[in-house]
Amino acid sequence: MPPQDKTTNLTESPWPIGEMLVKAGQISLNHVEAALAHQSKQIEPDLIGEILVREGIISQPELMAFLVAKFFEERKEYAAQPLPPTAIRFAGVEKTLDGRKVLDRVDLEIPQGKITAIIGVSGGGKSVSLKHMIGLMAPDRGQVFVGDQELGSLTKKQLLRVRERFSMLFQGSALFDSMNVFDNVAFPLREKTRHDPETIAKMVRKTLAQVGLSGMDAKFPDELSGGMMKRVALARALVTQPEIILLDEPTAGLDPIIENAIHHLICDTFMRARYTMVIISHAIPQIFNWCHHVLVLHEGKILESGPSVVVMESQHPVIKQFINGNLTGPIKVI
Amino acid sequence: MFLFLLTSLFGVVRPPYRLDNLLKQIVFIGIHSLFVIVLTAAFAGMVLALQGYYILSRFGSEGMVGPMVALAIVQELGPVLTALMVTGRAGSAMAGELGVMRIKEQIDALESMGINPLKYLIAPRVEASLITLPVLTAIFNVVGIFGGYLVAVQLLGMSSGTYWGGIESKLAAKDIYISIIKSFSFGLIVAWVCTYMGYFTTRGAEGVGRSITSAVVLTSVLVLIWDYFITSVML
Repeated sequence: MPPQDKTTNLTESPWPIGEMLVKAGQISLNHVEAALAHQSKQIEPDLIGEILVREGIISQPELMAFLVAKFFEERKEYAAQPLPPTAIRFAGVEKTLDGRKVLDRVDLEIPQGKITAIIGVSGGGKSVSLKHMIGLMAPDRGQVFVGDQELGSLTKKQLLRVRERFSMLFQGSALFDSMNVFDNVAFPLREKTRHDPETIAKMVRKTLAQVGLSGMDAKFPDELSGGMMKRVALARALVTQPEIILLDEPTAGLDPIIENAIHHLICDTFMRARYTMVIISHAIPQIFNWCHHVLVLHEGKILESGPSVVVMESQHPVIKQFINGNLTGPIKVI
Repeated sequence: MFLFLLTSLFGVVRPPYRLDNLLKQIVFIGIHSLFVIVLTAAFAGMVLALQGYYILSRFGSEGMVGPMVALAIVQELGPVLTALMVTGRAGSAMAGELGVMRIKEQIDALESMGINPLKYLIAPRVEASLITLPVLTAIFNVVGIFGGYLVAVQLLGMSSGTYWGGIESKLAAKDIYISIIKSFSFGLIVAWVCTYMGYFTTRGAEGVGRSITSAVVLTSVLVLIWDYFITSVML
């Protein structure tokens, strides 16, 4: 069979990472086929990369570097592409907390299957927006749509069902102190699925391996570093294989190396499963490299939204001051 | 606050039933409070017998020490002191634990997973409190009466037959019934107030401290107020 035919077959295959690696010339199709020949069970699409790593065809860091490089290419191309469908939409959302208007008639759209970053100064309403997306907070006015479902019109039961489509990584990780790493990650599976304990154990170990925490099962949250806690929280968010992942400052309080590692991990995760991801971040300007789309939230309003490469070049004085971290400008700090 | 109680009670009766969660709370509220309950009961019975003996001897009625100790403990001190001890030991811990879970966003994390925190966190605590308070009160009553026996009979030289005979003749089934009803209602108050205070904690570590204090103070006051009302109705 000529190589072109093989590539055509590969395009239709359910293993996107193997396909990308072959197309990029990183590995040959024979390698992929040899690796798959060893697999007795049906291949999970997001596992193909792991199989290639396990078979020694490509190393884990090489695979991650490849995926990240592909993501960077994709991120640049995103600006020129038509907007993807909307996963989450705010229509005129208002929220007042402790007498202060935190969200002021906010209209926003989160593109489906992309990474969206929400940035802005502290207290600008970012975390409150995230909590509205998952229905942990209800707007005083306006509507929040997840797909075509308006959260305000749902019954409690329907809202719980919508939440099952989400996972959320909280700013402080929100790991359960009384549970070890394994139980923390297994928790949503035990509570929300009917998998048997063996399947749950398998899923948990696979996810922990994905975030680089194999063998840490028995550790308790107070025995983990900040970076490890974030990774456990990420594993807990990923293990249920949700459609949408919300990440509230996943790199807050971490050193630049761990911050970079977490960004790589998020990107790697995205490239394997193509979740819709929403990240709140103060990692400026790094976050512009790790997302397709950016929303700038300031004093409860959306100042700008669009592809990260476009927003980064914004001439809006508030955005410029925020990105450059200047003390002087429209944002009065001191 | 009433809505919180009703929703939690609804969580108790509605499946799925989490037996492991319930057992954990029974151990925490019941087994772990046992030592303090036994200690308090023994000394409460002892001091009651001591005081009672000297007061009653003024009227030549020292033979009534047994019934006095038993009735005071079974009807009043047993349920009230048990509730106050459990509030101090387990209720404060409940408020603190839930408060920390609130400020560390663990309760939000449960909600974000589509898990009802009232069902998962509050219902087992309410249920365990309703089960353990009557049992702890029964233990308090028995130990307290034995504490009185030690002082009245072994220390003050009263006859064992007079002590036990007096109790047997004066302590009625109704007294035990009152004790059970009181302890059951106190169990509800302890779990309700302490979990409510912890669940709605705000403003960080300081807020957790405030929740614990409020939980202990409010529960203790409510137990004493409710005790007055329920006693006046049941006597």
